[in-house]
Formats: sequence, C-alpha cells, structure tokens
Amino acid sequence: MTERLTITSALSGATLTGPGATATIDYRPTAVMPDVKVVKIGGQSVLDRGRAAVFPILEEIVEARRRGIQVVLLAGGGTRARHIYSVASELELPTGVIASLGKYIPMQNARMLQMLLAKHGGVFMLPDDFEKLPLYLQMGCIPVMSGMPPFGYWEKREPDTRIPQHRTDAGVFLSAEFLGARRGLFIKDEDGLYDDDPKKNPAAIHIPRITAAELIARGLPDVVVERVVLDYLPRARWCKELQIVNGLRPGHVLAALQGADTGSIIHA
Amino acid sequence: MSELVGGDGRIHIHSRLMRESLQDPRVLAQTDSQRDLRVFPDVTLISIGGQSIFDRGRAALVPLVDELIELKRDRALKLVIGVGGGTRVRHTVSIALDLGLPVGGIAQLVGAMEELNAILLNALLAPHGSIPMQREHFWDLPLYFDAGITPIAISVPPYHFWEPPPDAGPLPMHGSDFGLFQLAEVLGMKQVIYVKDEDGLYDKDPKHHRDARRFGAIALDELMPQLPADNILDAALYHAWVRARNLQRISIVNGLVPGQLTRAVRGEDVGTVITKRAA
Repeated sequence: MTERLTITSALSGATLTGPGATATIDYRPTAVMPDVKVVKIGGQSVLDRGRAAVFPILEEIVEARRRGIQVVLLAGGGTRARHIYSVASELELPTGVIASLGKYIPMQNARMLQMLLAKHGGVFMLPDDFEKLPLYLQMGCIPVMSGMPPFGYWEKREPDTRIPQHRTDAGVFLSAEFLGARRGLFIKDEDGLYDDDPKKNPAAIHIPRITAAELIARGLPDVVVERVVLDYLPRARWCKELQIVNGLRPGHVLAALQGADTGSIIHA
Repeated sequence: MSELVGGDGRIHIHSRLMRESLQDPRVLAQTDSQRDLRVFPDVTLISIGGQSIFDRGRAALVPLVDELIELKRDRALKLVIGVGGGTRVRHTVSIALDLGLPVGGIAQLVGAMEELNAILLNALLAPHGSIPMQREHFWDLPLYFDAGITPIAISVPPYHFWEPPPDAGPLPMHGSDFGLFQLAEVLGMKQVIYVKDEDGLYDKDPKHHRDARRFGAIALDELMPQLPADNILDAALYHAWVRARNLQRISIVNGLVPGQLTRAVRGEDVGTVITKRAA
C-alpha cells in the first residue's frame, strides 16, 4: 500500500473529531480582544420602531465610545426576516436556504445603522472583514455588522421547524465568545427576561438574574434570546453572561456599557 | 398583497410570523412540513479524503483521477467533488492549539489547506472539464452540469470565527465530513460517497485493531445506537443526518482499490452503505 506523506505533529494520523485527539496537547486559550463590548441592536424590538427608538440608543452608544469604551454593533433582523422566513417556509425550502435568506435583512439594518453613525465613525463590516476589527477600534470607530453568523447553507436542520436556530442572538454570543469578551449585550424593548411574553401577558414577572440551566429547566414557551445560546452558554470559555437591556429606557444602554447590571443577566 | 401593520410602536409586514417570538416552539412548528424541497435530486457528491487519499500523493491520486475521467464520459452523470485537507490541517490545528487560539480561530484557518487540494485536483481534472467552486456558487451548478464541468469544492463548513463552543475539548465540532454532508442535504442531492483508504466504516479503527468488524449495508437508525467512537466520519455528520429530511444514502468506499468509486457512483452497494430509511 502507498504511504501517507505526513507532517509530524501532535495530531498527525488523528481523526480530528472527538475530545480524545487532543488529550496530549496542553491547551491554554488566549483571549483575542477581551475588552470589546459586543452589542446587539434588536430588529423587531428596536429597528422596526424607527427613529423614536433608534436615535436615543445610538446617542448613548456614541457617548460610550467617546468615553473610550470599545463597542461593536451587531444588527438583528425583525419583521422583514419574519416575512421571508414565512414565505420560504410555505415553499418548503430547507433550513440552510432559509438561513442564507436570513442574512440579508440584518445586513440592511447594519447598513442603516452605519449611515446614522458615519459621522461618529460608524463602519460597516462583512464577516470577512472581522480581522479588521482591531484597526477600526483603535481608530475610535464604531464597527457595525450583521448579527447573523455566516453558516448560511450549512445551517443544520432542527426538529419541528425550518427556522435556523443560529440567528442574530447566536451571532452576538459567538462573536463575544471568539473575541474573549465576558458578556454579550442585547438591546431590546423590554426590561429583560420575563416568565412569559410581557407584550401579551401584563402579569409576566421580571427575572433579573438566572443561570442558563435554570432558564432551560423552566421550560418557558417564550425566552428573550435564541435557545441555542442557552445551550452554548454553560460550555463557553469566555462569554459567560448575556445581558438584556431596555433600549427604550433612557440611560440604560450607557449604564450597561459601563458595566452596570441593568435589565436581566443570564449566566453560565 | 403584503400590508404594513402598526399600532404598537413597530412597523410590521403582515405574515404568519408577524409579531411572534421565534423562540416559541408552537410558532416555530408552523413553519414545518413533512418534506424539504430538493433542488438537485440527481447529483452525486464525491468526497475525496485529505489524509486518506491526497496525502498519499501521486500513487493514490492518479488512479482515482483516471477513474473520475472515465466516469465523466457519461454526460448524464452529475457529479460534485469535495476535498479534505489532510495532514496539513492536522499540523495547522496542532500549532493553533499550542498557541491557544480559540475554536473559532481554528475553524477559520483550516479551509485554506483544503483549497490547496482543490487546486491540485483541479490541475489534474481541468483538461477533462472541472472548476474549483467558490463557496456558495451552487446556483451555477446547472451551468456546470450542462457544460460537462465538474465543480470541486472545499469541505469544511464556513462557520469560521463563529464556530460554536464544542461539547468537549478544544476542536471545532463541524468538520469536513459534516460540511459536505450538509452541502448534499441542503441541495437535496442523491447520495454522498466518501472516498477513504479503508473499505468502509468499522466498529473500531482497522489501522489499529486487526479484529475490527466492517459494517456492510446498514440503516442510520440501526447504526446510531452502536456508532463507533473512533469513526472515519465526523460525529456531527451522523447527528445532523438524524434530523435531516433529504439525503437518503451515504457510502464509504476505498479509493485505493480501483473500481470501488465507479461502482458506488453507479448505485451498487460497495464498502459501507448507510441509508436514512431501512432498505
């Protein structure tokens, strides 16, 4: 039999799956950019409200940047994403195709935010520009990108739905996790997490702090962030907390960017 | 006609998902049905292993290329080829781990090593009609098939910096075998044939265990309870396939044995054949 021409390394000959392959390697993870605040601006909750909601939030983000806080903005989708998901589902398109369609609306929203922030250093980024983040941040810019992770056609199907499980909340968490940031910040139109949808149930009770495991165990019909993020949080190496703040309340975004525990915190 | 709906401070477009939380399982279930649209149901995806084939160089590659050229004479066959990265990927990952790079950093790096093999293979196949396919250029496929051009894709999925935290250990969960599986699944292809250097899937690594037992034809739900931990394919592939709707057949054949690939492309049971539904 012909020989494999291998490069000797700790993994040569190994299958690259399963934890066993790396048992002999001393892995000491390095945080890439731990001081960056990864911030999501909600689609349905913020952008679909237009100027009334968006402008005051951006003012607080610009103020945070002026005070030296490094902010990366990731945009959500909202009602146009729901519309395309709905139409594509009727056509029985596979999840991976729907995930690819889902990239476009957060990208539009990111471009809108960039236009508004341009005079304060707003820069639009594609996922391929991610390595330019240090440049933008060192220049004092506010990078803006789509929250959608780039999985697209490679998004896996989930049981009982064709909606992709990794959407813009997952993109925020995964970006923060890659960068080595401790917390991901989600700007929405509610004071955080409730035991039911507060828009439909006025008696819903606010939950200021909870672990991902407890939240999953409660089995709530509605949660404020994508469920897949709750699955990932306990095994994250860096991003151990998700903070949800109400962008409609003046001062809450700036306070959260300065480290205050406003809203709700879901932790590992 | 679509209509705009306001009244709660937000502007909505009317749709079934309007105003709804996409976290609510009841809402999510409304989007589902028993089938997924199959875009390319007559396409065979051939995966050529990095470590198992490319790293053996000329001796393994040239006979396999000859077999592909012969297959390509049948213009009715629609083929897409995917390639692995092999030992250079392992070297990349071992250096990256030593440097403490995060899992997303590792996922970002490995595709480049597969690109090299795609170019190598394309150099051999181009005179007979082939092209390295860019990431998401699936919608060019009818053009390629019509022209007798075989696209060559890299395998690793583009999760890049956003690779999710692994269940255990520091390695990305979404490897090359999974990436090609997902490509075939999302496009509703006929079958995937993984060309490796073993006669199929064994209950343990046959390179280290003389008593390893090979699986012949087996249904996926029969295989899952006895899925070998040391597996020739990524675990993520099997778990994704269980939940998938389209792909019905995966074969694992030995690329070092002339003719196995051809027979598998023709639909014969060669090596290990895993089917989504029991045959």
